[in-house]
Amino acid sequence: MAETLRRVLTRDGAAWSGEENTPVAGPPLLLLGAPGSGKTTLLFAAALEAAGEGQGPVLFLTRRPLQSLPRGTGTTRDPMRLQKIRFQYPPSTRELFRLLCSAHEAPGPAPSLLLLDGLEEYLAEDPEPQEAAYLIALLLDTAAHFSHRLGPGRDCGLMVALQTKEEADSGDVLLLALLQRYFPAQCWLQPDAPGPGEHGLRACLEPGGLGPRTEWWVTFRSDGEMMIAPWPTQAGDPSSGKGSSSGGQP
Amino acid sequence: MAAVLPAVVEQLLSEMAAAVQENARSTGLRSLKFLFGSSATQALDLVDRQSITLISSPSGRHAYQVLGSSGKTYTCLASCHYCSCPAFAFSVLRKSDSILCKHLLAVYLSQVMRTCQQLSVSDKQLTDILLMEKKQEA
Repeated sequence: MAETLRRVLTRDGAAWSGEENTPVAGPPLLLLGAPGSGKTTLLFAAALEAAGEGQGPVLFLTRRPLQSLPRGTGTTRDPMRLQKIRFQYPPSTRELFRLLCSAHEAPGPAPSLLLLDGLEEYLAEDPEPQEAAYLIALLLDTAAHFSHRLGPGRDCGLMVALQTKEEADSGDVLLLALLQRYFPAQCWLQPDAPGPGEHGLRACLEPGGLGPRTEWWVTFRSDGEMMIAPWPTQAGDPSSGKGSSSGGQP
Repeated sequence: MAAVLPAVVEQLLSEMAAAVQENARSTGLRSLKFLFGSSATQALDLVDRQSITLISSPSGRHAYQVLGSSGKTYTCLASCHYCSCPAFAFSVLRKSDSILCKHLLAVYLSQVMRTCQQLSVSDKQLTDILLMEKKQEA
């Protein structure tokens, strides 16, 4: 899923150049941020991205129906793509468990992307770490099953959004450690701005060992549309043109 | 999207598979014990006692069940590391000092050694098995 998110964040509102859609979604990704930081919008953008030409349906799980479809990230909300996004609203943790445990019974084509918004609401019902671990493990197992059904060379990505609190307590720290065990890739959305007088969010994508950390600057226009630009790097940024101090090492 | 085990664990598991082929299990076991301590012997014991069952369904989705030494059956998900046993909850999730509990290690060993019981169930039955792990509401 990290790859799909990276494509969303890099596209920068420009028309999709017709580059070959790779079937690789990337490792499961956890999207973290405070309320209002744009997680749902990013999830939805990823859903639109994955629902592109020739790609499978997308399964979007959230507790409550979205009040309004997020404005998106500059791309037109193509109705063909929208049609391929299947929304389901498990109203409780138990219902979410039931949905995931029976995912292999559901008829129809397997989705190419599984999204869950508001993991914190489902976890809040069951504070025990083992239950939380089982829920997360089932999310991964469900995505793995969909990948299997999609056939060789195709993968079902997994992207989960979790709302973080201002003040983290010890339970949160434990939960975060648990989540990092299961989600190799993470994207943090934090209020930040590249310069004085500016505002917005810094989106920091850690692809989980598959590449360097990348950052973007996210702002919302007055009409709710999300604007994304690469985070301005300083001159002499070490992430570009690394020195070869360890030359020759495998 | 397969679960990623640390490279060293993957390596040891393949060495174990090779050792078993050559009737040299004790050699493979030594390396596993180095990494996993007594869990390695207990895991191998579980394999020898045919305590691991691969439960498969027509949909292709599957899970593992391990009959623990206490007589209790635990469910393991191999696609990501999860076991329903208390040891997993405690040492792997809370203390973060073990990578795998003995049941998960037994599952991976049985995969590389290609020895485990097989059980075919219907899709509906697999759903029930997976759901059973969710503790019943009081």
